[in-house]
Amino acid sequence: MSRWRGVFGRGAIAPMLLVLAAAIPATAQQQPAPPPQPAQDTVHLGVRSCAGNNCHGAVQPLKTSHIEQNEYLIWSQKDKHSKAFAVLREERGLRIAHNLGLQDAEHAKICLDCHADDVAPNRRGPSFQISDGVGCEACHGGAGGGGPEAPQGWLGTHISGTNHAADIAAGMYPTDRPIERAERCIRCHIGDDKRFANHDIMGAGHPPMPFELDTFTAIQPAHFVVDKDYVERKGRPNDMQFWAVGQAVDLRERMDKILDKNNVPKGANPELALFDCQACHHAMNQLQWQKRPAIGLGPGKLRLYDATAVMLRTIASRVAPDAAKDLGDHLVALHRATVEPNGDYWAGVQREATAIREAADKLVPALAKHNFDKGDAKALAQAVIALSTGGEDLDYSSAQQQTMALESIVAAMKAFGFADEGQLKGLDDALGKVYEAAADDQKYRPDTFVQALKDFESKLP
Amino acid sequence: MLRAIAIRAARVVAAAAGLTLVLGAVTVGHAQTSRPENTHLGVASCSGNNCHGATERPPQSRVPGNEYIIWSKRDKHRLAYAVLLEDRAIKMARALGLPDAANQQICLTCHADDVPANLRGPQFQLSDGVGCEACHGGASGWLGSHIARAPHAQNVANGMYPTDQPAARAEKCLGCHFGDETRFLDHRIYGAGHPRLRFELDTFTAIQPAHFVVDKSYVERKGLITDLQVWGAGQAISLIKHMDAILDPRRTRGGIFPDFVVFDCQSCHHDYGPVAKPTTTGLPPGTIKLYDANLVMMRVAASQVAPAAARSLSEHMVALHRASNTDWAQVQSEARAVRAVAESLVTPLAQHQYTREDMHALADAVIAVGLQPDDWQVSHAEQVTMSLEAIVSNMRSAGYIGEGQDGPITTAMNAVYATFASEATVRPDAFAKALHDVQRAIGR
Repeated sequence: MSRWRGVFGRGAIAPMLLVLAAAIPATAQQQPAPPPQPAQDTVHLGVRSCAGNNCHGAVQPLKTSHIEQNEYLIWSQKDKHSKAFAVLREERGLRIAHNLGLQDAEHAKICLDCHADDVAPNRRGPSFQISDGVGCEACHGGAGGGGPEAPQGWLGTHISGTNHAADIAAGMYPTDRPIERAERCIRCHIGDDKRFANHDIMGAGHPPMPFELDTFTAIQPAHFVVDKDYVERKGRPNDMQFWAVGQAVDLRERMDKILDKNNVPKGANPELALFDCQACHHAMNQLQWQKRPAIGLGPGKLRLYDATAVMLRTIASRVAPDAAKDLGDHLVALHRATVEPNGDYWAGVQREATAIREAADKLVPALAKHNFDKGDAKALAQAVIALSTGGEDLDYSSAQQQTMALESIVAAMKAFGFADEGQLKGLDDALGKVYEAAADDQKYRPDTFVQALKDFESKLP
Repeated sequence: MLRAIAIRAARVVAAAAGLTLVLGAVTVGHAQTSRPENTHLGVASCSGNNCHGATERPPQSRVPGNEYIIWSKRDKHRLAYAVLLEDRAIKMARALGLPDAANQQICLTCHADDVPANLRGPQFQLSDGVGCEACHGGASGWLGSHIARAPHAQNVANGMYPTDQPAARAEKCLGCHFGDETRFLDHRIYGAGHPRLRFELDTFTAIQPAHFVVDKSYVERKGLITDLQVWGAGQAISLIKHMDAILDPRRTRGGIFPDFVVFDCQSCHHDYGPVAKPTTTGLPPGTIKLYDANLVMMRVAASQVAPAAARSLSEHMVALHRASNTDWAQVQSEARAVRAVAESLVTPLAQHQYTREDMHALADAVIAVGLQPDDWQVSHAEQVTMSLEAIVSNMRSAGYIGEGQDGPITTAMNAVYATFASEATVRPDAFAKALHDVQRAIGR
């Protein structure tokens, strides 16, 4: 599907990998992250207060700067977050609104929740514009202060050039930390207790929303460069860690969605956004069903989306084997519960979702602490590949996650020098083929994908 | 499908001459006289060249005599067993956890004349697929009277199945072409790779292709049974069987979802493009929608024959869809109500005499269903197309289609079918244009 390719394409990723690869060799250890204190009710000053040409809108950085200063330019020119509001006014946005019985999309809270920095009017500064879409402060937090947690706001601290920890203490959101970044992105890219692109919205015409934290950081494209300064200030980010933590937070949120009382099945229609899109959305002359011995559902059954659960289990089997077994057992039980032919099936589903949520929640801090090393990179790459080559999970949703997982592992190999240049080139080329095989859900063929994975595996150092 | 149309056109033209001559008394009933206890003697007992395997019409014969030849050369029923041995069927069987397809009751129940071993005569062969007696009934009781040229009613009394009666034919065909409490193509089988079933009794009778010719002798023996009577009975019984599936706990309960076969296939199986809000069902976008194409057609049929029933169907249809988003017990209660209305319409529809004006009004009403931009469904379009086929066929045999009209109507109908070349690419606007052309070609 063509709209997919824009997000899930190599074109956007390759340059970012070069940037990451250009980073200096690892000297600093990952700093233990201080507890986050994200401010909840600060004033949002607007994109304009960040975009000055001596701040984040510079074509050439100041000599003394420890960053590129082009962050606003990257966001405004390349990052789709800057178009998040604008698309609501386009034909598709209007049609979705119409299908949902709304007047329009640009005034509807259900849309603005994620397509803009929709803070309450009393928290919008004089330069704030809703039409800026998902602007700086939607992720980095309101810079103007005002609440008890950050009475002064962090813009003053930030401009005065103290240090990152002081900015955070003043209320800046710590997007550099894996858990916090995952939570921030996922609150829209999956949802939270207030936001959820449910199947009504999907059915009205919203595009599907695949997500993997590390890959999506890269293809955004990231407006930070991991150089010496960055590492000194924030530690060296490990792509595998962002990937792993992202999976755990993702899974925890998905289980919350199953447990949400709004998503209890009514009549013949449970909340379909909880399920695997391609289980239904395939042409009838193109069979999609793949035997998955580990979950035991027969053909013709609609299965819950479980690609991140399978991935987290795969990660845990290397990092925390007990948790892996726990996740695996409950995942089987979760799927079985969905086809339990008695009236209590949802109680069973919720029971298993609770257990999976608990396991994922425990893994979040564990994965954020784990030092993903060279051995992990190879073992995890092999384990991810084995999901398909071993025939355990050939569903498209899993192929998507496998592809993005390998992307993250290769990025970490580059950043930490786990492979030499020649090896990296081989891996990069092979990864291109993996992407190609998984780029379009309607054209996805498991055997082509498996072949691409095998080629990739043969290039692992 | 295009090929099927051509076959149908040929049949209709051939039959028309004989049909218009005789307007005999019509006796159509909801006959249920199948005798499962009769032994199935096998295709070989029917296919003699002096019986139904003749290349030329046997002297004094009341029928063309080539029924076996048509079946064995052109009718897919003969290949029903053979396909179980093919690669696709073996893959399906594996997906279902079965070692093969050709020895499985779940497959044979519709892919062959799978009667118990004690009811299989010496010439019976399972590999004959859906042979003569799968539809006409085991012949041990009636072959004698049949060969002796007893009246049709006598044969039927002896256990021949009355496939000439619209309601009985619908029951027989839909037993496999949708399913019943003993045989059911559930979504597990679809998920394993079974092609989709779609059905309309009159069109499928024609494209089988039919191995009977409605000529003077036929009408004298069996009465004049019109395409629209066959169509109406087919719609009613199809609707009954769909409601039965919703009501049967064994067929609809399987955890979170009822069996998906009670839903509209394209409600899920589509690309991610935005879909129009289905205004007539009142359901929000993104909701799985129950299959309702027969219900929509029944409402059209009833609005001519029994207006009160049509209103009742309308009300229950809306309630049925609404309930699907709130309460399954309520869905079942609405399904019961719809079923009762459909049941009451079987006989009226199977006996209704349509005037020329009726047929034009029916064509307009059917076309209107296909033109609804806010509730356009592939499943509706399919039923619209096949229903139009039945109407046009009936108009032809009744002599309501003038000399120069035949060609343009066939061309226009072929254009309607062409918009179905692929389910994935069928578009409402192309379909609507083709329907307008049919409407113009039919004229007033």
